[in-house]
Amino acid sequence: MARTLAMFTDTSLCIGCRACQVACKQWNELPAEQPEWTGTYQNHAHFTDKTYRLVRFVEKPQADGGLQWHLMSDVCKHCAQAGCLDACPTGAIYRTEYGTVNINQDTCNGCRYCVSSCPFGVVAFNHDTGRANKCTFCNDRIHNGLGPACAKACPTESIQFGFREELVAKAQKRVAKLKEMGLKDASLYGADPNDFLGGLNAFFLLLDKPATYNLPDKPKLPQRNVFADSLLSVGSALLVGVGALLAFRERGQDKGGDGDV
Amino acid sequence: MFKTPDWGMMIVLYFFLGGIAGGSYFTAAIADNFGGAKDRQVVRWGYLLSLPLVIICGLLLIADLGVPTRFLNMLMVFKFWDPMSIGAWMLGVFGLFSFVSSVLAFSQSEPMISLRRRVSLVGIIFGFFLASYTGVLLSVTAQPFWSEARLMGALFLASGASTGMAAVSLLLFVSGEAAGEGWGKVKRADRYSMIIELVILVLFLGLLGSAAAPITTGAFAPAFWGGLVIAGLLVPLALDFIGPRAKSAALLSAVLVLVGGFFLRYVILMSIQT
Repeated sequence: MARTLAMFTDTSLCIGCRACQVACKQWNELPAEQPEWTGTYQNHAHFTDKTYRLVRFVEKPQADGGLQWHLMSDVCKHCAQAGCLDACPTGAIYRTEYGTVNINQDTCNGCRYCVSSCPFGVVAFNHDTGRANKCTFCNDRIHNGLGPACAKACPTESIQFGFREELVAKAQKRVAKLKEMGLKDASLYGADPNDFLGGLNAFFLLLDKPATYNLPDKPKLPQRNVFADSLLSVGSALLVGVGALLAFRERGQDKGGDGDV
Repeated sequence: MFKTPDWGMMIVLYFFLGGIAGGSYFTAAIADNFGGAKDRQVVRWGYLLSLPLVIICGLLLIADLGVPTRFLNMLMVFKFWDPMSIGAWMLGVFGLFSFVSSVLAFSQSEPMISLRRRVSLVGIIFGFFLASYTGVLLSVTAQPFWSEARLMGALFLASGASTGMAAVSLLLFVSGEAAGEGWGKVKRADRYSMIIELVILVLFLGLLGSAAAPITTGAFAPAFWGGLVIAGLLVPLALDFIGPRAKSAALLSAVLVLVGGFFLRYVILMSIQT
């Protein structure tokens, strides 16, 4: 396996120009969509099957009555433990040699289980093609020595691309610097593999709590439930089975109703 | 924040009919192995009902795919930890068992009956699987309402058993065999299953707490409380325990159990999908 690649999105540098969103659409040939009114400058409200990069315009109310802008360019996290990948029954969702997660459009059959299994609501169903879509980490570009289109287009280096361990070291230095400057809530989201989901290959520097950016504090892998739920189902099966046995057993003729199961 | 999978009425029907198929096969298998000669009609109808249902189930699943012609792609991968993958396989395996048992249900010869009994003891596992894995499948998603209680599989299984038994008792009634001893036994087994389902449902709601809001309050609350809890569980139980001993009361109770089983799948699937 090649060295793990990553994208680091530093929200402290984002100016909300949406060059990444446009570059993503252009490179991946994603058609335009009807804009929707979200109450802020943000468009769309969530990822769609035609929007893989999405700049979030979060307006946070301040004590003095004003609003503070939190800008964040959001994307598929390419989780080290990916719920969508584990959910896929056809093997269409796979991990590349660079550690990114991709959907093979030639084998996806549109069962939509991945859509409901993403802890971030990234994967979307394309009703035109009948298949699931999400950010490909510009799979065609990274296999030809280029970075993702969004990182290439970002004018402030809010989106950076590189080898994961190098980017994490860089990000940690950036957090320390921001804290020095007085931004006490600055923290990395998904950089540490021990935090959740084995670490995110697209990780973020946030200036506020994850919830402010519409991100879960501790995203959980859906597949954690398989064992417990299956075991409880077996318990339920045993109970129902005993009930049916009680009802159907042939009673002994001379034992006064005692069963002989 | 989470995206829902756009699973519509075809999947609601699949969950409902899959539960009945598994439940009726299981009822037949228990009656076959542990019942007596008087339960012969329960055995026959139970096996015979499961076969067309499991075929419809497969067709519903294929029709719901974004690219239906690619349904075989699911049978080129086997992921034992993935309910969707293993479920597709087990639906096929259960279909085989259902077919073999249905064919053997017509035989009168002793060796064939003995073979049928042994086949059904293995098939029962897959019947249970079909009735419950759909719940586990929902529980293995990012949706809090579906995943937090971890009792979805257990709940679907109890409901599958009770709807399967209700369907078998209806078939017995329609075919004029309601006078037999088998009918009474199916009704009794159905009562036990309903009580188990009710207990699991209470635990389910308790464990979910506020995450159960999509069904306990709002637009789906009437379907949940009225369609499932009252019409589908409490009224049939009341009819069976304290109602008149008339056949019509037992018949009504069986119909209501089926209605309740449908509403269970309906509210759980549709309430969080907009």
